[in-house]
Amino acid sequence: MAFRRQIVRATLQNANGNNFAQLARAGGRCLSSASPSSSAAPADSPPQLPPFDHRPKPYKGPSAEEVLQKRKTYLGPSLFYYYQKPLNIVEGKMQYLFDESGKRYLDAFAGIVTVSAGHCHPEILKAIVEQSELLQHATTIYLHHAIADFAEGLAEKMPGNLKVVYFVNSGSEANELAMMMARLYTGNLEMISLRNAYHGGSSNTIGLTALNTWKYPIPQGEIHHVMNPDPYRGIFGSDAAGYAKDVEDHIAYGTSGRVAGFISETIQGVGGAVELAPGYLKMVYDTVRKAGGVCIADEVQTGFGRTGSHYWGFETQGVIPDIVTMAKGIGNGLPLGAVVTTPEIASVMSQKIQFNTFGGNPVCSAGGLAVLRVLDKEKRQQHCAEVGSHLIGRLGDLKEKYDIIGDVRGRGLMVGIELVTDRKEKTPAKAETAVLFEQLRELGILVGKGGLHGNVFRIKPPMCFSKADADFLVDALDYSMSKL
Amino acid sequence: MQRFVARSGLLEGGRRRAQSLLRSQQQQQKQTRYFAQAAREKEIANDVLPKMPPFDYSPAPYTGPSVDEILAKRRQFLSPSMFYLYKKPVNIVEGRMQYLFDEGGRRYLDGFGGIATVNCGHCHPDVVDAIVSQVKRIQHPTILYLNHAVADFAEALASKMPGNLKVAFFTNSGTEANELAMMMARLYTGCQDMISVRNSYHGNAAGTMGATGQRSWKFSVVQSGIHHVLNPDPYRGPFGSDGEKYAKDVQDIVDFATTGHVAGFISEAIQGVGGIVEAAPGYLPAVYKNVRKAGGLCIADEVQSGFARTGNMWGFEAHGVVPDIVTMAKGIGNGMPLGAVVTTPEIAEVLTRRSYFNTFGGNPVSTAAGLAVLKVIDKDNLRENASTVGAYMKDRLTALKEKYEIIGDVRGRGLMIGVELVSDRQKKTPANAETLHVLDQMKEMGVLIGKGGFYGNVFRITPPLCFTKEDADFLVDVMDYNMSKL
Repeated sequence: MAFRRQIVRATLQNANGNNFAQLARAGGRCLSSASPSSSAAPADSPPQLPPFDHRPKPYKGPSAEEVLQKRKTYLGPSLFYYYQKPLNIVEGKMQYLFDESGKRYLDAFAGIVTVSAGHCHPEILKAIVEQSELLQHATTIYLHHAIADFAEGLAEKMPGNLKVVYFVNSGSEANELAMMMARLYTGNLEMISLRNAYHGGSSNTIGLTALNTWKYPIPQGEIHHVMNPDPYRGIFGSDAAGYAKDVEDHIAYGTSGRVAGFISETIQGVGGAVELAPGYLKMVYDTVRKAGGVCIADEVQTGFGRTGSHYWGFETQGVIPDIVTMAKGIGNGLPLGAVVTTPEIASVMSQKIQFNTFGGNPVCSAGGLAVLRVLDKEKRQQHCAEVGSHLIGRLGDLKEKYDIIGDVRGRGLMVGIELVTDRKEKTPAKAETAVLFEQLRELGILVGKGGLHGNVFRIKPPMCFSKADADFLVDALDYSMSKL
Repeated sequence: MQRFVARSGLLEGGRRRAQSLLRSQQQQQKQTRYFAQAAREKEIANDVLPKMPPFDYSPAPYTGPSVDEILAKRRQFLSPSMFYLYKKPVNIVEGRMQYLFDEGGRRYLDGFGGIATVNCGHCHPDVVDAIVSQVKRIQHPTILYLNHAVADFAEALASKMPGNLKVAFFTNSGTEANELAMMMARLYTGCQDMISVRNSYHGNAAGTMGATGQRSWKFSVVQSGIHHVLNPDPYRGPFGSDGEKYAKDVQDIVDFATTGHVAGFISEAIQGVGGIVEAAPGYLPAVYKNVRKAGGLCIADEVQSGFARTGNMWGFEAHGVVPDIVTMAKGIGNGMPLGAVVTTPEIAEVLTRRSYFNTFGGNPVSTAAGLAVLKVIDKDNLRENASTVGAYMKDRLTALKEKYEIIGDVRGRGLMIGVELVSDRQKKTPANAETLHVLDQMKEMGVLIGKGGFYGNVFRITPPLCFTKEDADFLVDVMDYNMSKL
């Protein structure tokens, strides 16, 4: 609806031939595909945000400059931020964010794939507020129903024998625990992770993480980083077998032949929305298990229906892991993480005490359970599939139009757009990415950036993102790229 | 630690007069307490049960799952290593200040504070207000954009720190904070060797599990570069309260077990999980000196002792040292999952070499709660309260020690108190069974406290800091009553 109004407005505003391209696009969606002629330029006026019926509260707090100054003084030089002129975000509602002046932005990054249901989603808010007023924290040394109910809710979403849940406070903590479990259960030390992966910033997880930007020079022992089954940049393209052999080789030549485990994201997040070559996990899980190892699926970014086709990312590869880790979207922004595994693997942990003070606290558990319910009730997985395929479809069209788009990839609402200055060489278009990134912000869209070279747009919005939002995003990208 | 203060002769007379006045006041108070105590002890001797202080609050009616249902789900869906206290576990459904309520609406005195975590008091209105207003505005935009909450909190936290400790990093737990601190020390110095203290607890991730010094909490993982030194334990240590003698062990480790240069030293001012063991006086200053000579950084783990619990804002203050890095969690957010590392700008700079990022760390809701906590500590005068009520409770417990052979030691500072039970005062044989039994009985009478220590024979008393003298009386009386039944 909104789009048609946009078209009419644009048509009335533009005297020259630009309206034809827009009409063609609009018509194309309804009738036949528009001809992706590079000579058809986008409108001269920038696209408009879809309408949204919410007025943010007037903001009376510190200004962006004041906040930035305090950050520099009290939060250290290593805390980075986006944009030349950083954004002061003070309020959020569903898929939109508001800055200090009340300006609305389309949040296409969801606080880094974290706000799954939508900012300040009323049902989740209700659960959090009610519980905060009753009991914030007592620890699991006493009973409380929230953690038990939430664990049950999570276990119900898991296939196979994955039904013992541990609650922690972040993805790093979850992956630390998973890695320790793998080593204890198998009695082996070697862990295998993928190049270009991100698994955390603590001692062990820094070892698993395989992007030099995020690795500090600390001891990381016994980790093997195998070839990344990257369909776009990988040497074997989409042929999983070649990459899977690299895992076999690492085990045969670099270890005792027995390993602790293998961990991977199904769609690498920080690494730039890289989806693993199809069939890869099946082969590797087989290899790793033969070598005595366990298979860990890092669902910190891909979980909870975001991929559209399945609830969990690993399901897209047709495997069942031994351990699953999650965080980010699990609580719509609450500091919460979880590890789910089988009773056999869990039993090794009972040799000693394993305790997490904040883990499973009533507020986060109540919030987490509300998230599970909301995502089901609002059929978010299906929605991600629909809006996601529409988005990817339109981005595919855009790729035909602009040479700078080297690759469009992803699934559901976990999408990546890789920009290159040369399609053959795949030279990262870092500068252009940075420029477009800023441009999009000016137009009211906040996306993410990723990839080792920082040349991939990461589009992973709250799952209430609509088709109109997707159209606005693509139109804005189109508009900005035409101005490059 | 000895402090020599020059006294001026002119003031001496006035000072002596003031001191004698104070002494007579204290004696009067002692007399009043003595009579009240005697009355209470008479009651206990006559089998009259102690009464919980009154509290004008009714919990909401509970209509959720029962104890049995919860237990069944825990067994089915949660970790098999997840334990709970008490033979008959308590189902805690609501909290208000220093009290907790179970499913039947029964009130308990919370002598444990959710493990030294709820410092302001359960659902303290100022803190809840801050949380609720922020959560309704925005829970999580990501720290890649600006938001005033984290900046305001960092500024306020820095203002509570001595020296040049003014750069903060926010995490979600004590484990994450200690992990980051250890990494920073290693990066800053270029050395790998870390020194931690036996009987300590620092966390459960790879690095921090290595630093932790108690086998019950250590799985068989690789611990690269950690050295555990003699615990300066005044009660069980070989050198009693002579801190400097224990410090020599640190020098030995540096000289013989490392390259002579170390990354750092990490310790709690008062060991929490280890059973409220306060470092022997003189230890920290001596060790800090040795470690710094070896190029290392001194990390103070304030996860349990921080935020006014000991009567000072930070545990390390009582030892006259200024650390290079301070880690905190637990009390920082009155129960919000939040942790922090505070250090100097020079040390903070190491992280700029690469990227360190914490997705949830510094989110507006947690930091709004943190700021509210700092304000409540000042507004509700929690340092003063912890100090006064803590000293009072410790005195009463010390008197209890005179009464019962089973109490081997009473120790701690402010509202971080430990009572160690032994079946033989000479041999200090841990009295586990009795500890468990009394813990359980106290719960039956409405008092919740914690347990700790390597042998599991230490009562840990770490209540919300709004704990009153009446609460302390009730706690001690209930302990007295149950010990008399042993």
